Amino acid sequence: MKHSLVDGSRREFLYGLGASIGSLAMTDLLAKDSANPLAPKPAQLPAKAKNVIMLFMEGGPGHMDTFDPKPKLTELHKSESKSTNGLETGFKFFVGSPFGFRKVGQSGIEMCDQWKYLSDPFIADELCNYRGCQAESLNHPEALFHMNTGSRLGADPALGAWATYGLGSANQNIPGYVVMTELAMPQGGSRNWSNGFLPPHYQATRLRSTGSPILDIQPPDWKSREHQREALNQLNFLNKIHESRRPSHKDLTSRMNSYELAFRMQMEVPNVIDIDSEPEYVKNMYGLEDTETSAFGKQCLTARRLIENGVRFVQIFSGGWDSHDYLERGHSARIRSVDKPMAALIRDLKLRGMLEDTLVIWTGEFGRTPDNNKRGGVYSLGRGHNARAMTMMLAGGGVKKGTIVGATDEIGSEAVDVKHPIRDFHVTLLHLLGLDDNKLTYYHAGRFKQLSQFGGQVIHQLIA
Amino acid sequence: MKIINILIITSCSFLALGQASGQDEKILKSNGIQGGEKFSKSDRHFTLKVKPLLSEKCFGCHGDPNKKLKGGLDLTSRESFMRGGEEFPQSLVPGDLEKSLVLKMIRREGEEYHMPPKENDRLTESQINDFTLWIAEGAPWPDISIQAAIRLEERSRPITDEGALINTSGGLSDEWTYRRYPLEDVWAFQPLKNPPLPDNSANDNKIDAFVLSELKEAGIEPSKTADPKTLIRRATYDLTGLPPTKQEIDQFLHRYELDADRAWENLIDRLLASPHYGEQWAKHWLDVARYADTGGYSNDYERSNAWRYRDYVIRSFNEDKPYDRFVIEQVAGDELADLSLKKRVNKDAEFANARMEGRYNSEESEWLVASSFLRMGPWDPAMVKAPEARQLYIDDVINSVGETFLSTTMRCFKCHDHKFDPLPTRDYYRFYAAFATTQLAERPTPFLDSENRNGFHEGKERVMELLEFARTKKNHLVKKREDAARAWFSERGLPYVSHNDRNNLPDDEKPPRHVGLNHVEQGQLKVREQDEWIWNRRLERYQPMVQSVYNGPDPAFLNARKLRIKTPGKNQALPVNFILSGGALEAKGERVYPGVLSAVQVATSTGNDKDPFLLGESPEGRRLELARWIAHPENGLALRSIVNRIWQYHFGQGIAKTPNNLGVKGAKPTHPELLDWLVQEFLNHDRQFKPLHKMIMMSSTYRQSSERSDRNQIDQVDPDNKLLSYFPVRRLSAEEVRDTMLAATGEMNPEMGGVPVMPEMNMEVALQPRMIQFSIAPAYQPMPTPEERNRRSIYMYKVRGQADPFLETFNQPSPNESCASRDASSISPQAFSLLNSTLVNDRANALAVRIHKLTQNKSSSINAAVSIAFQSILGRKPEPQEHERMVDYLKAMVSYHQEVKPEPATYPTSITRSLVEEFSGRPFEYEEILPNFRNYQADIKADQMDAPQRALSDLCLVLFNTHEFMYVY
Repeated sequence: MKHSLVDGSRREFLYGLGASIGSLAMTDLLAKDSANPLAPKPAQLPAKAKNVIMLFMEGGPGHMDTFDPKPKLTELHKSESKSTNGLETGFKFFVGSPFGFRKVGQSGIEMCDQWKYLSDPFIADELCNYRGCQAESLNHPEALFHMNTGSRLGADPALGAWATYGLGSANQNIPGYVVMTELAMPQGGSRNWSNGFLPPHYQATRLRSTGSPILDIQPPDWKSREHQREALNQLNFLNKIHESRRPSHKDLTSRMNSYELAFRMQMEVPNVIDIDSEPEYVKNMYGLEDTETSAFGKQCLTARRLIENGVRFVQIFSGGWDSHDYLERGHSARIRSVDKPMAALIRDLKLRGMLEDTLVIWTGEFGRTPDNNKRGGVYSLGRGHNARAMTMMLAGGGVKKGTIVGATDEIGSEAVDVKHPIRDFHVTLLHLLGLDDNKLTYYHAGRFKQLSQFGGQVIHQLIA
Repeated sequence: MKIINILIITSCSFLALGQASGQDEKILKSNGIQGGEKFSKSDRHFTLKVKPLLSEKCFGCHGDPNKKLKGGLDLTSRESFMRGGEEFPQSLVPGDLEKSLVLKMIRREGEEYHMPPKENDRLTESQINDFTLWIAEGAPWPDISIQAAIRLEERSRPITDEGALINTSGGLSDEWTYRRYPLEDVWAFQPLKNPPLPDNSANDNKIDAFVLSELKEAGIEPSKTADPKTLIRRATYDLTGLPPTKQEIDQFLHRYELDADRAWENLIDRLLASPHYGEQWAKHWLDVARYADTGGYSNDYERSNAWRYRDYVIRSFNEDKPYDRFVIEQVAGDELADLSLKKRVNKDAEFANARMEGRYNSEESEWLVASSFLRMGPWDPAMVKAPEARQLYIDDVINSVGETFLSTTMRCFKCHDHKFDPLPTRDYYRFYAAFATTQLAERPTPFLDSENRNGFHEGKERVMELLEFARTKKNHLVKKREDAARAWFSERGLPYVSHNDRNNLPDDEKPPRHVGLNHVEQGQLKVREQDEWIWNRRLERYQPMVQSVYNGPDPAFLNARKLRIKTPGKNQALPVNFILSGGALEAKGERVYPGVLSAVQVATSTGNDKDPFLLGESPEGRRLELARWIAHPENGLALRSIVNRIWQYHFGQGIAKTPNNLGVKGAKPTHPELLDWLVQEFLNHDRQFKPLHKMIMMSSTYRQSSERSDRNQIDQVDPDNKLLSYFPVRRLSAEEVRDTMLAATGEMNPEMGGVPVMPEMNMEVALQPRMIQFSIAPAYQPMPTPEERNRRSIYMYKVRGQADPFLETFNQPSPNESCASRDASSISPQAFSLLNSTLVNDRANALAVRIHKLTQNKSSSINAAVSIAFQSILGRKPEPQEHERMVDYLKAMVSYHQEVKPEPATYPTSITRSLVEEFSGRPFEYEEILPNFRNYQADIKADQMDAPQRALSDLCLVLFNTHEFMYVY
């Protein structure tokens, strides 16, 4: 891995993104010894994973239509369901998956026949399918908040914020926690990746998919880089005079340095995200040439470049999984759009030797129900929201490869084996990164807060 | 020195005792132990100190009969403790501190095992000492009956060195009910006292007397008085959120020289009388109350009349409304209004009509507007079952009432008795019951004469155009569908059945759901239907309505897009409330009745001797009585809460540093006597804020310089400036940054109040699609004229799902959580905003053009221009070295700009959206119109300026970026 920019500007950074007034310094226990809150920190426990790429399938993919086959549902197709799970009321009927299933790779992991690339044994045998996780909320924003922040209220720090708080970041010229979304933000918006009560250095930077990657990062066209440099020189001149007369005011140097860092970021960020510089075969591998896969493909390729350049935590949101109706068309289109890029990402990481220390997670905010109600009076072939069962795909970063962990019942209505709430998944994720949820705490509003809220268990079955 | 008010429990009828479950009494009876026996010191030590620790910290994993023992270790008896676990046989060796492994673990000595494992549960020094002492004494473990007798005996002592018992309505266990609190921890719950003035009270200003006595004790010199220029800037920002004008500065400096004290007093009086005072201090209150113009969550529906509440708060501050009234109106304004209306119209039937028609007089209307406070939280029942949606609302609203008025985080005792504060979960559900009949509704409420209704006409017209567009498009698609349906029916010789009526027909007797429409048209229809709702909803802004509440049974159906008063049906019962164990609706425990927080020890007027903290049970009046209890002149918690907040906004930090939490785990007050003294002064001044502001600002403490008297010493002794030996510097708030720029350029329109204002927002964000439940929200369109846009930031449209990116970068808080004090980080995105955003560049342009106009005909125009720029932005003349350097910069930039040609700005009048159709998973497009951009009066852009003007703009931009601009000293 190249970390060319890692150490060069740490001192500058010390006063750059790190500057802040008052409230932070007291509570920031982990960063106490280091003036730069994003300086790399040693893990608390021995661990394989150093970085995370989380592929978030917003809307809730149906587990029985992706990785968790339910032949029983096919038998029951269109027969009446008396289940009270989910929100739908009135007459309900079972819905069999429109897709066939098969076992793939040496390991025999199960996948529906829509996965054409992920099913390649080179990739499939790296995967760990977890079927035991249970969400709590049936509504998208609350469930999204829960999966992303550990709290349904959406005001707490996101996973990536905790990870960068715990481990810092390897490159001080770009943000340590990066989020990419579709053009439209997911429900709940930026609260899905906020720093919550952690200091603002740990909030994600959203790389925008069109327009400027970071808002206002570049000046208007007619102002050249030299022009901007000149303006900064004048600003420095005036600020120095001011500073000399305010010897007690400690924030001034750091504020000026945040300008210098901004000036460097203007150069650095466009380079890191410049996927045009990648060779053709790589672009093709990620599906950049195909309109169906190009959006997610670009983001997956960008994610690899970001991790390579020292970013700690990358999240990509991909929407459209909320198939209440027309499940076959909806899910097959969504699978097509992520299959090739995701397979390429895992392959690319593996070939570059980066998969060992990069944990890749594919998940939604919840699963889907085995049944549906009529819509507009007709049998609509789709599914409702299901907080009791879902499916996740993990790869790399020290997870057990080529395996299925946990199980749902025979119709997929709820998890029955290796059943764990989201908080346990979060504790496990931190554990994989070498962080102990009980020790990764932050004192706020009268108590030491932690990602799992009140503690949780490591799901050992997931760990190699 | 600390003043602690000792809570003396005199009455034997104290609630908890009466209701206690009496576990210990039972044990005693069955074992025949008599009270009054003498117990050994070591038995008492174990029972009162060690056993509770074991039970609180250890039994969860090492003694819960329902769970597997962790590591095979059972700590519930001396024998099993000594036997130890699988790995550690020598957990406890009585009398041997070296061998007893438990001590190493609780001291967190070795690497391996730290107990308890969670940092949060870590034992304190004194708890570790208790453990150590117990082992040293041979680890005695008296029989449970002796333990019970010791505990019972202990309860007869209200105060011991362990702390005080606190009389509450009782916890779920005796252990909780009879636990003790160090008095300094529960300071905020104690009755108010009239503290003695410090010895040095010869000081004219009593605040200084309190502050100086602490400083003296610490051996720190206060700082000298700040210079008058700093003072006027500090005071003007503090009270109005704006910079002083040149004229104001000159006048003050002149008067200050003649009589500093008088000039300062006059300045404060003038600022307190300014209408901008209300705007600035309302901003603080709205942060706490979580003001926004939308409801949040997936639909993010507009709360069309929320602006009336925002203006109510501004008015209340400007009128200096006594705080008790301010409280009562916000918590129970609807009840006040209906009581008053009922009196006027007499008959019940007539009252119901009058209420539905909104026949309120102006006083009643004001009260109803105030009750919008109860509607400020994010809430949407979409995809949530109705009982849970109700619970979400009530949990949220009581937490908000608790945080706002009582500095108490209510959600901390929703699932169990409070871990730290004397707040039993019973009180949570009593409070909950007080709001159980509170239902949400938009209510007809006449406009007040004092409300600004400018722009209603233009606003309505703009919305109507958008509504018509959506409606036409929708009708077209509906017609197409129904034409196809008609054809379908007639092909089969069946009579046509309308869309709604055919819903329940069997599948083979009706056409497919989206007959006649392809996936593009299906998607478009959904978008247009949604838009029709959105624009209809926005039209309600201009209706005499208010986001309010009423009392009644739970409605069967909840939808946040339209909430109206529902007349209860005959059989609709009022909610009955229970303690919900773990906060789960299904886990009903003991029944509870409406009530208040017992630990505050202030009785309600509806309570009785046995239980003085109950509210009435009638659905009407619960909140009014609750509000009166909050506003009771002896409610120390509520009064300390508000006075602490006021202090905090003046000094950047409260006397207690956690203004939303004055409980055990909140920060301890740095000057507790001063806080209580200020509360008394506040009460003496009819609980008006303006006298309190003046008292604080007249103090020498407030007038100190921000330079420390002895930097090295103070950084050592008091690095957080808890003792206030200097005035704390602060960064401008997000709104102040924008407002100050508008003031500097002369663009600001000082008009007050009215419907939300929409200035330009970063265009990428404004036009970027934003998902709502079934569609994309309409684009953000700025208002077409600069006059409409250039209003103060407090009037800006506040959408929960779409924060203004500029304000957000400067730490404007999310309205989903109550914000007691703002962050003021300096991060690089702020540099991007201040250098590159359209907002700041447009301000620089505006000022540049103005300066150019003023100076172009002068002989030394460039010198004059630099002077005016400094004066406008920094409120002072440039120093010679600055002047010289900036003149050079200007000259260099003039030549730079002669070589470049900026492109003109363009504004789209329509936009094509792309969305994935929900059912088919296939993308479709539709057109959205942006009529505000049709006759848009943009701000002056670079392409309309010549090179000297653009150079001037560069200079202004640099000045907007300076430290001097950004900080208040």
